[in-house]
Amino acid sequence: MTAMSTVEETATSPDDVASARGRFRPLRWLFVLVLVVLLAQLVVFLVGNDRFQWDVVAKYLFEKSVMAGLGTTVLLAVAAMVLGSLAGGVVAAMQLSGFGPARWVATLWVGLFRGIPPLVQLIFWFNLAYLLPKLSLGIPFGPVFGTWDANTVITPLTAAVIGLSLVESAYLAEIFRAGVSSVDPGQRDAARAMGYPPGQTLLRIVLPQAMRVIIPPAGSQFINVLKGTALVSVIAMSDLLHAVQVIYNRTYEIVPMLLVACFWYLVVVTLLTAGQRRLERRFSRGHLPVAPRRNR
Amino acid sequence: MTEPVLRISEVRKEFGPVTALAGVSLDVREGETVVVIGPSGSGKSTLVRCAHQLESIDGGAMYLDGELLGHRRSPGGLRALNERRIAAQRRRMSMVFQQFNLFPQFTVLRNVTDAAIRVHGRDRSTVEQEARELLERIGLAGREDHYPRQLSGGQQQRVAIARAVLVRPRVMLFDEPTSALDPELVDEVLAVLRTLAAAGTTMVVVTHEMAFAREVADRCVFMEAGRIVEEGPPGELFAHPRTDRLRAFLSRHLSEKEGVS
Repeated sequence: MTAMSTVEETATSPDDVASARGRFRPLRWLFVLVLVVLLAQLVVFLVGNDRFQWDVVAKYLFEKSVMAGLGTTVLLAVAAMVLGSLAGGVVAAMQLSGFGPARWVATLWVGLFRGIPPLVQLIFWFNLAYLLPKLSLGIPFGPVFGTWDANTVITPLTAAVIGLSLVESAYLAEIFRAGVSSVDPGQRDAARAMGYPPGQTLLRIVLPQAMRVIIPPAGSQFINVLKGTALVSVIAMSDLLHAVQVIYNRTYEIVPMLLVACFWYLVVVTLLTAGQRRLERRFSRGHLPVAPRRNR
Repeated sequence: MTEPVLRISEVRKEFGPVTALAGVSLDVREGETVVVIGPSGSGKSTLVRCAHQLESIDGGAMYLDGELLGHRRSPGGLRALNERRIAAQRRRMSMVFQQFNLFPQFTVLRNVTDAAIRVHGRDRSTVEQEARELLERIGLAGREDHYPRQLSGGQQQRVAIARAVLVRPRVMLFDEPTSALDPELVDEVLAVLRTLAAAGTTMVVVTHEMAFAREVADRCVFMEAGRIVEEGPPGELFAHPRTDRLRAFLSRHLSEKEGVS
């Protein structure tokens, strides 16, 4: 009897949790308060401090030389990423190979180009002519097809592309290797068991699954190389940073010109991040969508 | 007597210091269902993995319809085939794994048809038609556009079997197809295996399901420590084991599985 009456009671009872409000969270209120104060301070700082010279920022934002510099920066980043991916893919394959000498070469490659600071590598490639005054193409110890003067071949552009690509290839090789290793070995077994030849096993079955693991760090790496292109300003390559430096060396408006550069770096990085998210979604097909974690 | 579809002759396999197969010979004839039983670590799985060339063998020889597997005869002796040629040989057999190993990025229909279309070069619409009919027969109608992770283990394993059937293999190999399943899902997979056996599919099944072995096998093979210890028709083998090892194995497995039911 008592049990029954309890059941009836809860149906209309004020204890029904469906009408309950969330937990009281004082720290969250405090956090919001602090955030609002800090934001207000930031706005006052940005608007009230006329040394930012926002009018100068606006004036040079779409300046021709700045646009050209931005173009060079993007071009360098894309070239380094494409060439770095190709070389990185080969190096990763060598690292995963069952053939000892291939593994050793790959390990050495990664150790070398990941181990030396990119700035040092750039200056080194730019000065290659000191070591090798003449560059020749031909069969080793055999006939030579052509010879060029290293000083004409190694321009700031080629030095920058070579240097950045090599650094990229080392990092990407590690990312690719980790991605391929992350795929369940049963997947390779199944592909082979179904008669897929080696190339299709890799391209159709293993790589699409590895991409889920590869894309987030590869996207970060692309962002890194984009920012890394700022290093080439030291070898007089007219990238985005170099373009604004040329202007502020003349006008002494250092802070506003750096803001111009920051603006464009952030624009490109934001676009890249959006692209990376899209790719991630594409390759997560078949892996149940994980809803964003949210506590109430 | 006609030539066996799959001939395994004195095959040896070592993993480092461990001998997994110590000279195993087994002939599988057209339409025959061979069930391989034995304790864990006896080499059953290694045997089917070697037969499908997922592992290389260290000695002996294997033939599919009389063709030497994995090597070619050359004037200087035997030469290992390259991976492309081995893939071509694998296309005439198929295999079902303990862990299903469906491709997670493909839908059910794509999992079942992809190899038949891409690898065997068969016509897409014919293959898809055949796949839909097969999926319906094994109780998976309406699941064509699901992804493997949205299915139960038993459903995934049935998809894996459909995938292995659709490439029209000369012989199907099953590596403990029900060992990764929850007990209540085992029967739905065994039912599909029974249908295949009844339809005259040539198959080798490694399993721990004794009732299934007794019911479906044309021939039962008992392995222990990398060797075939006894083989014969399951009724005879189960009723009159000749060796103490099979007797011990049977008493362990029949009591716990069938004593209850």
